Amino acid sequence: MSLLELRGIQAGYGAQMVLRGLSLDMAQGEFAALIGPNGHGKTTLLRSISGLVRARAGQMRYMGQDIGAMRPDQIVAAGIIHVPQGDLLFPEMTVLDNLRMGAYLPAAAAEEAARLEEVYALLPKLRDRRLQIASTLSGGERRMVGIGRGLMAGGGLLMLDEPSLGLAPIVIDQIYAVIARLRESGRSVLVVEENASRIAEYADRLHLLDNGTFVWSGGGAEFLAQPEILATYLGG
Amino acid sequence: MDVAIQIVASGLTLGAMYAISTVGLALVYGALNMLNMAHGAILALGGYVCYQVMAAMGLPAPLGVLAAMVVCGAVGVLIYHLAARPMLRSQNFETQIFIATIGIGAILQDLILRAFGPQPKPQPLALSGALNVGGVAVPYQNLLILAVALVMMAAMAWLLGRTRTGRAIRATAQNRDAAQLMGVRIGRVYAQVLALSGALAGLSGILLSSISGLLPTMGSDPMLKAFVICVVAGLGQVQGAAIAALVLGLLEALIQYLFGVQYAFAILLMLVIGVLIWRPFGIFGRRQVVRL
Repeated sequence: MSLLELRGIQAGYGAQMVLRGLSLDMAQGEFAALIGPNGHGKTTLLRSISGLVRARAGQMRYMGQDIGAMRPDQIVAAGIIHVPQGDLLFPEMTVLDNLRMGAYLPAAAAEEAARLEEVYALLPKLRDRRLQIASTLSGGERRMVGIGRGLMAGGGLLMLDEPSLGLAPIVIDQIYAVIARLRESGRSVLVVEENASRIAEYADRLHLLDNGTFVWSGGGAEFLAQPEILATYLGG
Repeated sequence: MDVAIQIVASGLTLGAMYAISTVGLALVYGALNMLNMAHGAILALGGYVCYQVMAAMGLPAPLGVLAAMVVCGAVGVLIYHLAARPMLRSQNFETQIFIATIGIGAILQDLILRAFGPQPKPQPLALSGALNVGGVAVPYQNLLILAVALVMMAAMAWLLGRTRTGRAIRATAQNRDAAQLMGVRIGRVYAQVLALSGALAGLSGILLSSISGLLPTMGSDPMLKAFVICVVAGLGQVQGAAIAALVLGLLEALIQYLFGVQYAFAILLMLVIGVLIWRPFGIFGRRQVVRL
């Protein structure tokens, strides 16, 4: 049984269709990456899975459970954790309170203290910054709070939307160190990433999204061996 | 000295009444970006429900207060389900709900007018007697209002700061999408916030009418002042609104003494304009910075 199973997903905003019938399968423990040019539906796909955008057609199943009609809070409770693009922190809360919000649901709240230690071990800077108000953090620190907050929730599938977007190269390296650790931990991860060749080194599978549909799917090594894919769709 | 005590006593009473009516308004704006124009009518409804329970049905005061808060809280929930929820996904939610709640307020006020008539009525919940403070008689009624306001503010601070419900409310106010991604059921938060705001408006209506009597239109003036206070504090700043209410109450009492009652509101509004030129986002509001 697939962990995540999407069939014929269509979604959009107003009259504009963004996703034109997407299908995707993810296995338990798989590290999958969505790549492709900007504005072609990667973020919309994650937002549809987490219920922030209501898909107009298609089926979504998570661990065999139909999540298509669920509210976002029910989808979180089912185990899909979405770390959104742009972090979307709670700006007037401290780092610690942001992290604790990640463990808001009762199942996660019971594990809060232990999870907090795990997050601090993975992202030590957050421990030093724990009493700082989120809006005063640097871009890299905000990203780490966003990821840490997602990890606080536990869950069975972690979705990261552009974890390295808009960061300085040295901070991107730190984020990739976290990605490598997540990869080793055997978690199921679905990541949206602009830098296709870099994420290809970590991903079990890559899915290239162009104009609302998947135009290519394959393993990371396979992708790196076919430079023409990059040239055709990613202009590089 | 007598004068100072007098000014402080009446200023704190005014401020306390403003605080109770303002906090609910600020809470709703903070969580939903919704200016609830029916707030004034809900205020009046609270006063009348208490009157009905105590004067017409002859029941004791605590039941009157409880009934008013429950009825007004229920009106808040109704406003959520009938007006706010169907509009939430709209691009122009703020404008639409603003206009819709003006209509709801008018309906509510007309229903009160129809049920109770246009003549002023006395609020039966009133304490007689006064406490002697340094030679000045401070009515027990004023002390009661102050005490209720302090208890209410402490309860709100506890609710927002220390409870799970409060964390969900703050999270929703600060980032609606992120709150949902944490598993917060925002529809329930909205309903809770409107219920809470309604109950506080009901309480505020009882206290206001215990001093100035019941009239179907009694809510419009306090609601106007509550808006002014919300804007001064920074829209959606709940604790800031409580502090601003007390300060503006004291200021109003001082202006009344120095220049006369007729100038109080005008001078207050001038001060408000000054504050907004200095800090357009309110004294306690944060400068809105758009980050990419």
